[in-house]
Amino acid sequence: MTNDNVLVIGGGVAGIASASKLADNGFQVYLVEREPIIGGHAASFGCKATETCSQCSVCLVSEKMREVTAKPQISLVVNSEVVRISGSIGDFEVDLLQKPGVVDPEKCIACGICTEVCPCEPKKGIFLPSPEAIPHTYILDRTQCLRFKGAECNVCQDNCPVGAINFEQKPNSKILKVSAVIVATGFEAFDAREKGLLGYGMYSNVLTGLDLERIINGQEWITLPSNGNSPRNIAFIQCVGSRDEYIGHGYCSQVCCKYAMKFAKLLQYQDSEAKVTIFYIDLQTTGKGFGEFYEACKKTIRFIRGIPVEIREISPDELEVKYEDLAKGKIAKENYDLVVLSIGIAPRKDSWDLAKILGINLGNYRFFDTQDTLDSNRTNIDGIFLAGTCHGPKDIPESVAHGIQAASKVIQTLKARTA
Amino acid sequence: MDSELRLGVFLCDCGNTLSKAIDFSTIKTDLENLPDVTYVNISHDLCLETAQKAMQKDIEDKGVNRVVVAACSPELYEKGLISVIQAAGVNPHLLSIANIREQCFWAHPDKTKAAKKATTQIKLALNRARFLEPVEKTRIPVNRDVLVIGGGIVGIEAALELSNLNLKTTLIEKEAILGGKLNQFPNLYPLQVNPEEMLAARLKDITERQNIDVLTSAELIDVNGEVGNFSARIKESNEEVVRNFGAIIFASGYNTQFSSQIYGFELSNNIITQSKLEEILKFSSEVKEIPKSVCFIVDVSGEHSRVSTLSALRNALGIKEKFGSEVCILCRNLKIDGAGLEKLYRDCRNNGVLFIKFDHLPEISKQNGKIKIEVEDVLVSEEQVSISYDLLVVEETSVPPPDSRFLSSALNIGLDTQGFYQENNIHLYPTASNREGIFFAGNCHADLDLMRALTEASNVALNAYQLLAQEKITVEAERVIVDPNKCRFCLTCIRACPHHAIREVEVDHEKMAAQIVDLACQGCGICAVVCPAKAIKCKDGSDEQILSELEPFGEHV
Amino acid sequence: MKIKGAFSPDIIAFCCAQSAYQAADTAGSMRISYPENIRVIRVPCVGRVDVLHILRAFERGADGVLVLGCHDEACHHLSGNTRAKNRVQKANTLLQEIGIDGKRVEMFTLAPNQGSRFARIANEVNERIKELGPSPVKSAD
Repeated sequence: MTNDNVLVIGGGVAGIASASKLADNGFQVYLVEREPIIGGHAASFGCKATETCSQCSVCLVSEKMREVTAKPQISLVVNSEVVRISGSIGDFEVDLLQKPGVVDPEKCIACGICTEVCPCEPKKGIFLPSPEAIPHTYILDRTQCLRFKGAECNVCQDNCPVGAINFEQKPNSKILKVSAVIVATGFEAFDAREKGLLGYGMYSNVLTGLDLERIINGQEWITLPSNGNSPRNIAFIQCVGSRDEYIGHGYCSQVCCKYAMKFAKLLQYQDSEAKVTIFYIDLQTTGKGFGEFYEACKKTIRFIRGIPVEIREISPDELEVKYEDLAKGKIAKENYDLVVLSIGIAPRKDSWDLAKILGINLGNYRFFDTQDTLDSNRTNIDGIFLAGTCHGPKDIPESVAHGIQAASKVIQTLKARTA
Repeated sequence: MDSELRLGVFLCDCGNTLSKAIDFSTIKTDLENLPDVTYVNISHDLCLETAQKAMQKDIEDKGVNRVVVAACSPELYEKGLISVIQAAGVNPHLLSIANIREQCFWAHPDKTKAAKKATTQIKLALNRARFLEPVEKTRIPVNRDVLVIGGGIVGIEAALELSNLNLKTTLIEKEAILGGKLNQFPNLYPLQVNPEEMLAARLKDITERQNIDVLTSAELIDVNGEVGNFSARIKESNEEVVRNFGAIIFASGYNTQFSSQIYGFELSNNIITQSKLEEILKFSSEVKEIPKSVCFIVDVSGEHSRVSTLSALRNALGIKEKFGSEVCILCRNLKIDGAGLEKLYRDCRNNGVLFIKFDHLPEISKQNGKIKIEVEDVLVSEEQVSISYDLLVVEETSVPPPDSRFLSSALNIGLDTQGFYQENNIHLYPTASNREGIFFAGNCHADLDLMRALTEASNVALNAYQLLAQEKITVEAERVIVDPNKCRFCLTCIRACPHHAIREVEVDHEKMAAQIVDLACQGCGICAVVCPAKAIKCKDGSDEQILSELEPFGEHV
Repeated sequence: MKIKGAFSPDIIAFCCAQSAYQAADTAGSMRISYPENIRVIRVPCVGRVDVLHILRAFERGADGVLVLGCHDEACHHLSGNTRAKNRVQKANTLLQEIGIDGKRVEMFTLAPNQGSRFARIANEVNERIKELGPSPVKSAD
C-alpha cells in the first residue's frame, strides 16, 4: 500500500532540493541526516564575489536550507543513519539509528549562554556550527569538551535556560514507513594526503580548495596559516585526485577549474599585487559566462600546463614547487607563499555500507550506479533513486537540479502505481 | 475591516539572555501606556511550540489585530510566527518583527547602547505595524495544458514526463519529423546507446499516450496572456491555430554554424564540418572513398564549448570504428567535465587517436591534395609539428535556434549576448525565464551534454506540474496594486518589471491602465519606484511602512 | 559646529532581504561588532529603495544613508541592484545641489553569508560620516 511518505537520505544540497520539491507536491518527507545540521559540504563554503557575483552558487545553499524550515511537511531527522530497510516500493520499512547530540535541537533556542560559560580553551567545547545552521542548534564538540577528557563539568547544562542539554542521551531507533527512497549522501573530498609529495598535512601553507572555502566562510579575506599575512604569490594545482586512473579516479570532478579561478580572482581582489599561477591539464571553462570570466583571468593570472610533482617547504613561509616546464622540456622550480591543491569530488568510502543495506549497486569509480544508461536517478531497486554527488561529480546548481529530477522520478513512479 | 488598531507586542528575551541588558519590564510598562497597544507579553522562547501556542491564545483572547514581535531575526522564525498569527485569525501580513538579537544585542558589545537601540527598534516596529495592510488570498483558475516547443530529445523527454504527471502536453516541432539532433548523431558516446533505437522507442511511447498531442511542421508565432492563461498562436503547415496553455517550455535546441572568418578558409571536399562528418558516419556503408587520415580541430572559435569537444571525441571514435583511419585531434583545452567524458577521451587514446594540444592557432594549408597543418605542440617543448591529413574536420559554433530573436521580442523573454535564451538567474534558477510560467530546457539556452539536458527536461516538467497541479492556483491578491485613477498608462512599470508581471487593462470602458498580474508578481517593488505618478502601492513594504522606520533619530546617544 | 569626538552619526542602512539583511544577521551571529548607531531597514530588494526614501531620511535628520544589496548580476530581481546604484548616484547629485555632501549616501554589494564584510562596511562608513560631521539639516533645526 502506497503512502505519501518519502525518505531522503542525506541533508546536503541535493537531498534538500529533493525534499523541498516533494513537500511542494503533497508528500511528507523525512530528511535524514547523519550530522547534527543539514547543508552538507556546500554549507561550509564561502562567497567568492569580488566587485561582481562570481556565480559560485554558495548563496543558493542558504536559500535552499531555508526552504526546509519553511515547509512543515519536511521532518528533519538529524544525527541519524539508516541501518536497515525492508519491503518494496510503496511499502518500505526503514530502521533508523539515532545518536542524539547532547543538545536537543527541538529545545535549543541558540541563545549562546552555553558557549559563553564553556571553560574549554582555545576552542570551545560547545558551539553553533554556523550562523546559518539548520537546525539552529548548538552542538557539542567531543574532541574539545572536557567531559570527554575525563573531567567532570556540567557548566553548560547548568546554565542552559531551557534545559536543552542532556549528557545522558542514548541512541535510539526509529522506524519509518515510506513509499520511496532518495539517496543523496553526497561525496568525500579527495584526501590530498594521498599525494604525499605535495606536502598537504605537512606544510602549513599547502591548503586544499575545501580549506579555502572554510577560511572564506569564516572571515572576509584569505590569510596565510603560517603568519596570517595576505598571500602574495599563490599557486593552484589542478586535478588533485581527479583524471587519475592510477588511483581509481579516472574522471573529471567538474568543479575544480572553476573554483580555482574564482579563488584566484578573489585573491587578486584582496591584493592587486598578488601573483597567481594555475597549473592545469585542460581548463574546464564551460558554462554560460565562464568563458568571459576565463578570458579576464588570463590577463592577470599565469596558466601553466602540467601538474607539479613535488612541493617542499623552504621556510615556514615559503614553498618550492617542482614542475616540468613543457615549453623548455626541463624541470623547473618556483617559490610560492601559498599553494592550493584543487582537490576533487570522490565517492564516500562508506557508500559500500549503505549499498549493502539498501541493496543498490556501486558503479563507475564507486559512485552509486544507475539501472539504465539514460536515467541518472533510478537504481537497480525499484523505488530507490539517486540525487546529487553520490551519483557522480556535480557542482551546486547541478546537484540541486539532480535532486529535483529525483523528486520528479519519485512522483512519476508513485503516480503510475496508483493509476 | 476593523479600523481600530489593537497592537499586541510579544517581547522575547531569548532564554533570559537579553534581559541581562535590556529592561523588558520598563519597556512593557511604557508600551502598555500607548493608546493603540492592547497587550504586551514577555516570553523566554518564542521559537518554541509552547510559547507560540500561548501567543496564539493571547492574540485570540485580547482581540489583537496587529502583531509586533521583538526577538531574533525574522530570517529564522518569521514563517513560523506567521503561522501562529494566522491560526489566531490575524492576516499573515500583519506581523512586524524587531530584530533585537542578531542585529542588536549580539552585534553591539556596549550593553547600555544595545538596550537603547533595542528600545528604538521596538518603537520602529510598532510604527511599521501601524501601517501594515492585510493581503488576502484568492484562487485563480488556470489552464492545465502545457506547450513544449521543440521536438528534439529534450522536448520529447519533457513531454513524456509531463504525461507521466497527468498533464496534457502539446509538442510542436518545426521540422516534419521529431528527433532533432538524434536524427543526426551517428552515436551518443560516451553513452552506449543507439540514437535511432532510442528515438524509435520514445516515439512509440509518445504515440501510445493519450495526453501528448504532436504537431510537426509547426511553429510558434506569438503568445498573449500570462502564466496560467497563455494564449499561443501556432502556425501548422499553412494554417494558424490558437491554443491555450498554463505553462510554456522552450526546448528548441541549437543550430551549428561554420565561420570561415574565424578559420580563414572555406569548406571544401576535404575540409568539412562535424555535422557533415556525422552525415558521412551515419551512412558510412555508402562511403565510396574512405579517408585514410582524419584530423579534428576544436577550441578555435573561443566558444569554450562542451558540445564542440564532445562532437570531436564522439566522431573520432566513430571514425575509428567505421573506417579505422588514422585520427588526430588538435585542441587547446579538452572539455571533459561531464559524466563519462574523461573515459571517452581515454577510449579515444586507447583506440589510437592522437591528441595534440596547442596554445597558438595552427596554420592550415592545402598541399598536394592533402591538408597540411603546422602546429606548436605545447606538451613537447612547443615543437613545431608539421602533419598532413586527408580530411580536416572543423569545429562549428553553436548558435541559437533561428526564431529565438523573434520569439524573444514577441514574448518579452530575454536573450543573452550570444542570442541564446537568458535564464532568470544562471545559478539560482537556471531553467526559468524572466517570466513566470515560461521555462527553458536544453541547448536552446545553455551548452549541455545529453545527461544534463535530460536533467533539465525533468526539472522543467516538474516545475510546470507544480504550477498547474490544480485547477486553481492560490495566489496573494493585490499584494502590489496599481491605482487606476492615478495611472497615466505611461507603460514605465510594464517596461521596468523584471518578471513581466504587469498587464494592460481597460478600466470602466474608458481608459487603459496597468494592472499587476498577481500570479507572476514577485513583490520586488521596482514598479512602485519607477512609476512617475506614484500610482503603485506595495502592501508589503509600502512607502508609509518604510518611512515610518526613519524616525526618531539621536536616540542611541 | 563639529564636535568630532562625541558625535555618533545616525546612519540608515537599507538592506535587501536576499543578501545584506542576512549578512547583518551573520555578523551578529558571529559576534562581529559594528556601531549601534546604524539602523537597518529591511526591503525586499534594493530596487525598492526610492530616491525619495533616501532624501526623506536626510530631511528627517539622518547623517548618512547606506544602500546594501546583492552583488552585480546576482540580484534576484535582475535589475534591482543596478537601479539602486543609479538612484544612489542621483541622490548623491541632488544632495550636492542642496549643500549636503553626496558622500553621505553610498551603495555596497554583498552576499548573505558575508557577515565580516557587512561589519567592515558599517565600521568604515561610520568613521567616514563622523569625519563629515552632523548633517547640515540637523544643525539647521
